[in-house]
Amino acid sequence: MQRRERPWTLLIYAVLVLVSLPFVLPSVWMLISSLKSSAAIFGNPFSLSGSEWRPSNFWEVFRNYPFARQYLNSVLILLVSVPATLLLSALAGYGFARLRFVGRDAVFLMTLGAMMIPSELTAIPQFLLFKTLGLTNTHVPIIVLQVFSATGALAVFLMRQHFITLPKELDEAGRVDGLGYLGVFWYIMLPLSRPALATVAIFALLNSWNDYFNPLIYLNDEKLMTLPLALQRFTDPLGGVYWNLTLAAGVLVALPVLLAFLLAQKQFIESLAATGTKG
Amino acid sequence: MTPAALPTHTQRRRGGQRRREGLTGWAFVLPYALGMLIFIIGPLLAVGAVSLMNWSLLDTPTYAGLSNYRKLLHDPGFLSSLGVTALFTAGIVVLNISAALGLSGLMNLKLAGISAFRTAVFSPVVMPIVAWALVWKFLLQPVGPVNTALQHAGVSGANLLQVPATALWTVVVIEVIKSVGLNAVIFLSALQGVPPELLEAGRLDGANRWQSFTRLVLPLISPTFFLVFIITLIGALKVFTPVWVLTGGGPSDATTTLLVYLYKQGFGFFDFGYASVIAVVLFVLILLMTSLQWALRRRLVFYEE
Repeated sequence: MQRRERPWTLLIYAVLVLVSLPFVLPSVWMLISSLKSSAAIFGNPFSLSGSEWRPSNFWEVFRNYPFARQYLNSVLILLVSVPATLLLSALAGYGFARLRFVGRDAVFLMTLGAMMIPSELTAIPQFLLFKTLGLTNTHVPIIVLQVFSATGALAVFLMRQHFITLPKELDEAGRVDGLGYLGVFWYIMLPLSRPALATVAIFALLNSWNDYFNPLIYLNDEKLMTLPLALQRFTDPLGGVYWNLTLAAGVLVALPVLLAFLLAQKQFIESLAATGTKG
Repeated sequence: MTPAALPTHTQRRRGGQRRREGLTGWAFVLPYALGMLIFIIGPLLAVGAVSLMNWSLLDTPTYAGLSNYRKLLHDPGFLSSLGVTALFTAGIVVLNISAALGLSGLMNLKLAGISAFRTAVFSPVVMPIVAWALVWKFLLQPVGPVNTALQHAGVSGANLLQVPATALWTVVVIEVIKSVGLNAVIFLSALQGVPPELLEAGRLDGANRWQSFTRLVLPLISPTFFLVFIITLIGALKVFTPVWVLTGGGPSDATTTLLVYLYKQGFGFFDFGYASVIAVVLFVLILLMTSLQWALRRRLVFYEE
């Protein structure tokens, strides 16, 4: 039995390796090429001999371009947008799940609708609004739209679904102990919501880090740009791309996310699969 | 029974409590609800209004009636983008779902180290989309590794991303490789919910592998299948970034989807009125898909969870 199955098992492993190549090779190739000179990139994609070795790409993206500034922009936007999403969605989710008030169902229905609306659809009135407010070419529209667009609505929906599953006796026990609504929410409900909050945090994080469409519309000033835009700016005056720098910058953008994914795979996969959204 | 005109003490207290609960409820929901109204629902309604106007960056807006809609019907650029969107969406849905089903079957194998395979297939899902698109843009340059390899293999003049006949399908494949891992994982968890006794019983009754897949597994995972189908369909309508980074809508508009066309009209030519009409069309399409979801749900799905 054992002997008969071994060739099959080997064959299956070979198939698995072959199938995983298109998923893995682009990232591997990006990493290798980011360490090469611009001329060497065009040679054998997977060779890395001593003469081609050029780690200074990673230093150059910071020296000749405002890449450090752009990196900081992305980090700061994320540090505002993700906690804001967590707080607002937990509050609203709790309100929808646990408290009765006039108009609740109508507002919740709107939230479900907002989940389906891609931000591109509403982009023009939003742009006109922020232009009237004099907020184009600032980070305000980027953050606001990350918090309130489809991702935010999804966060509210998930938090509501989560709070509905918590037993009602918990609220009552808290009330008996003299806590107000906010106290019950803060001291009893939130500590029990870590998994749901982690789910929301993961996709809010990916959404913020990868946001491309709104920064493309709102940010003209190179110093205000975020990373997804920054990646396309390693060009010569005629628009030719410095691939070695582009790929080095790409590694710097992708690495934190890929490392976080490898460290917390289970949470990432569960979070994204539960919501059906990709980062 | 106490007459309604004379509420008892407890009833009055309950009324006060309810009012307090109502106010508190609004207070909890308000920060989000207000933002959603101002930044999403308001603009959504405004899209309809702007679509009835001539409005560009420099001019003052004027009422234009339905003229933007009439223009739409005779605009070859729009009609072409509609066709491109149909092909793009169909391509993504067919390729993504069939690949996801196949991959989930492989992921479900009981082998040592299978989790490494799952990780590998899923990893592009978390890869930043612009970085992913740029890597492929390099690989697909006229003299890049992919085209060179194809030329060596005898496909003369292969230039996948810059020839109209192949550009759209190339973008479809790149987008599917990026996102198929998500659907595969969703299918995997559905497959793991199929009771093994049932498959064993089918096998004893003489079903071959294909039969047990189509007659037993597919009906059992049909709720998931349906969910994935709708998510992927609507998701395909929303794809912008990889198209924009890879081709910018070219060559000769071969990859200009509705969304790319909307962006070009709105933020390339700043024709806000006309771009809003395209947004309305997209909105109607998404609304149709969503209603389709509800209409088909009962017919297609055998078991609800």
